[in-house]
Amino acid sequence: MSTRTITLTVNDQTLTREVPVRKTLADFLREDLGLTGTHVGCELGQCGACTVLLNGDPVKSCLLFAVQAEGSQIVTVEGLAGKDALHPLQQAFHDHHALQCGFCTPGMLLAAVDLLSRNPAPKADEIRRHLSGNLCRCTGYVNIVKAIEAVGAGAAGTDTVSTGAVGAGNIQK
Amino acid sequence: MTQVTGYIGRSVKRKEDARLLRGEGRYLDDLNHLKPKQVAFWRSPYAHARIKAVRTAEARELPGVIAVFTGEDFAPVKPLVTEIQLEGYVAKPQDPVARDKASHAGEIVAVVVAEDRYIAEDALELIEVDFEPLPAVVDVDAALAEGSSLVHTEVPGNIYYRGRRVFGEVEAAFAKAELVFRETFRTSRIAGTPLEARGCLAEYDPYQDVLTVWSSTQIPSILHLKLAEIFGMHENGIRIIAPDMGGGFGIKAQIYPEEIIIPFLARALRLPVKWVQDRREDLLTGVHARDHRYELEAAVTREGVLTALRLRMLTDAGAFSSFPFGCTLEATGGARMILGPYKIRNYEYDTIAVATNKAPAGAYRGVAQPSCFFAIEGLMDIIAGKLGLDPAEIRRRNMLSSAELPYTNPIGIHFDSGSYGESLEKALQSARYAEVRGEQSRIPADAGRQIGIGLACYTEISGISSKGYQSRGVADVPGYDSVRMRMDPSGTVAIYTTLTSQGQGHWTTFAQIAATELGIEPDQVRVVDGDTGLAPLGTGTFASRASITGGGAVFRAAREIKRILLRVAGGMLDDLPPEELELGEGFVRARGRKLKVTLREAARKAYEIRSGGSETREIPGLEVIAYYDPPPSNWSNAVHLAVVELNLVTGFPRFLDYVVVSDCGNLINPMIVDGQIQGGAAQGIGEALLEALEYDPGGQLLTASWGDYLIPTALDVPEMKIEHITTPCPSTEGGVKGMGEGGAIGALPAVVNAVNDALRRSRCWTGVPITRAPVKPEDILRRVGAVGAEGGDGR
Repeated sequence: MSTRTITLTVNDQTLTREVPVRKTLADFLREDLGLTGTHVGCELGQCGACTVLLNGDPVKSCLLFAVQAEGSQIVTVEGLAGKDALHPLQQAFHDHHALQCGFCTPGMLLAAVDLLSRNPAPKADEIRRHLSGNLCRCTGYVNIVKAIEAVGAGAAGTDTVSTGAVGAGNIQK
Repeated sequence: MTQVTGYIGRSVKRKEDARLLRGEGRYLDDLNHLKPKQVAFWRSPYAHARIKAVRTAEARELPGVIAVFTGEDFAPVKPLVTEIQLEGYVAKPQDPVARDKASHAGEIVAVVVAEDRYIAEDALELIEVDFEPLPAVVDVDAALAEGSSLVHTEVPGNIYYRGRRVFGEVEAAFAKAELVFRETFRTSRIAGTPLEARGCLAEYDPYQDVLTVWSSTQIPSILHLKLAEIFGMHENGIRIIAPDMGGGFGIKAQIYPEEIIIPFLARALRLPVKWVQDRREDLLTGVHARDHRYELEAAVTREGVLTALRLRMLTDAGAFSSFPFGCTLEATGGARMILGPYKIRNYEYDTIAVATNKAPAGAYRGVAQPSCFFAIEGLMDIIAGKLGLDPAEIRRRNMLSSAELPYTNPIGIHFDSGSYGESLEKALQSARYAEVRGEQSRIPADAGRQIGIGLACYTEISGISSKGYQSRGVADVPGYDSVRMRMDPSGTVAIYTTLTSQGQGHWTTFAQIAATELGIEPDQVRVVDGDTGLAPLGTGTFASRASITGGGAVFRAAREIKRILLRVAGGMLDDLPPEELELGEGFVRARGRKLKVTLREAARKAYEIRSGGSETREIPGLEVIAYYDPPPSNWSNAVHLAVVELNLVTGFPRFLDYVVVSDCGNLINPMIVDGQIQGGAAQGIGEALLEALEYDPGGQLLTASWGDYLIPTALDVPEMKIEHITTPCPSTEGGVKGMGEGGAIGALPAVVNAVNDALRRSRCWTGVPITRAPVKPEDILRRVGAVGAEGGDGR
């Protein structure tokens, strides 16, 4: 199987790896880097569980090949907060019971980081529209919307949420 | 009002959240510590076909392929037989890999083991199978028709199960009925489709002769016992671990062929082997649910009181009777639970589970309750409409009142506590029912938008006991659950249980119970779940049972630890007897005196090996095993009230209000309970408006992705007003009743009733309500079009 060597930055860490050209970005993050917080729910770009930020934009990592991420900056859920800390959105999800099984949560968080970076204080209907590409089967979404709304309200009038990585996660050598 | 006792009744934030939020959960696909080989399955493209030859030579030669297996290789494995001890049931053994013929599209025909999944899937393309297609039976009417092709020769007439029962004087009641109503309700075939699909990883250790199986299963104990039997192994040579699970909803509460195949491969190859299901496989082969037809006939007085009910029920069981609940699960479930909170004294059912060439049906949140309440609640509205009664009023006239409890219904279901009428009135009040009815009546009939109100009153079975499963003839579901609990010398507690958690938050709720009983903090309690190597066997997490059965076992274990602890502490406090001691805030205190020891000191003392000074304790240590087999009667009740605005131009309903009044006895964690209700109702809304698995006439599934099988998005689910009435269960530990499925039960009837109510107000009303779920925009537009054509204005 043909491979290529790629260099990219994942959660602020620049790394070079040889990957099969047909390997998806999601599989590369999970299998090659051990960042299993990015979840694969459908492999068709329909559920959003595998959402990561690529150069600041949310992408469904099951729909990209790893080689397409050459030279880019990736942020995964492991990069949202420093060691043992929680990002304000993660804290708000905890406070509002915005997760049950937790499988959709990493994708939801990254979609929400993207929204807040564009619109620091979104209203409920804007949040719902923005999350319509991220499926959750447990919560009925209401608490997710509330959690994002709360972070937005708390951040109103201040700087927008950064889409850069703070933590690195435990990237496999 | 929620009863608060210690930490019970408080919305304690979840202990499991932090790691899940940080992406540190350990779901099945995250388990790579063994560097397992990967499996992909070659699945039948035909719904029904004889297998003439399977050619795998080319696949075996592909670099990276380790082995390829076909049906014959599994000959040593005992087929899976779902034993249901009910008259009228036919058992059909199922091989893990099809040998002579495939009985549904997606049935496994060959298995590839390779270095990685990409290679395994490449190899699938090199396998060739010769089939002789057979006629596929894809709906119940065709299956029951004279001369129909048989799904299995062992299942005559394609009837897996037929149960007929008469309770009371049905014929006499119909003979003197003032009015008789007949109506048929249908629900589509649906899928639970959790965000995380299923998966299985197995490792065989020849040194210890132990087979360890990690599976995304809600029933590790049941899987443990069955694998031992199927492989002819000693039970103590098997360990099942259910890791973090991304939802289950009943879909992961059956044993699937893959859970037999993967451990078999690990033993045969002496290699760790893993398979992770993809979404297409989930929708194609994960158990389906519903696909029900309820033909109802009701004897009714002119005042709207139902005096008798007849039900003919047809369920589409698919190709196999899924293990362990069997194809009888929904067939008997719908027939037994349809009376709900209503005092219908004469009742008769005839229920059939029909074999078809579709994926097997099995457990999905609510089991048959969403569909049976869809039928009875739909019928209530139809009768009310004909008699000019308000839908709330007809329910009042038929409903069991609290004063009549305890009450045993004609089937023998015993209701010991509940708040049926109170819940209805509270829901009406919360939704400002009279006002909304007023607003509704002011909208002209020719307006393009109509408001509709839908009600659903229901009872919810929960925490089914060993007797309960025996009476349903389900041979392989024990009914009890268990925990092993240990208080360490430092005074902290660990709870080990084979109950699983797929989002319910048992780390938190079980810790709340133990902390309350032992006077410590929930943070001092660790819960380790889903591991049969660490905990005693039990049943599993499904059918609204874990808070009753697991919670009950935690209550009992904690009390036993407390008993030992007080005896030990008594030895340290002037030999005071336990009844003069109390436990709390980390101390054992003498009642009414200043004397005390820390809980930590007492716990340490309990572990001292040397005798002397502690002769009051029976055995060293603070470790106990507790079982809980619940009492036979644990029924929650609730009311859902949906208010929709139906757009007759687009066909889309929009929620204006959604109220749930739930009575599940004492609440352990109201935040978690409300989350379950909200999430369950979201699934019910999907069932009402979106979800349908469609097959073509040849038995091909046409909805094999989430782009075709639509589950609710953030745009489809409204915020809900959730309120509680607390009628503690008199018989369970802690007075709790299960409620995990309730949200999903009420939404289907409430939402469809609301849509029908809106239609009824419009000029499109033909007098015929929609009695088939889901109700899609095209169903509404078809009605609007039909009336438009006749009415001549084109709308």
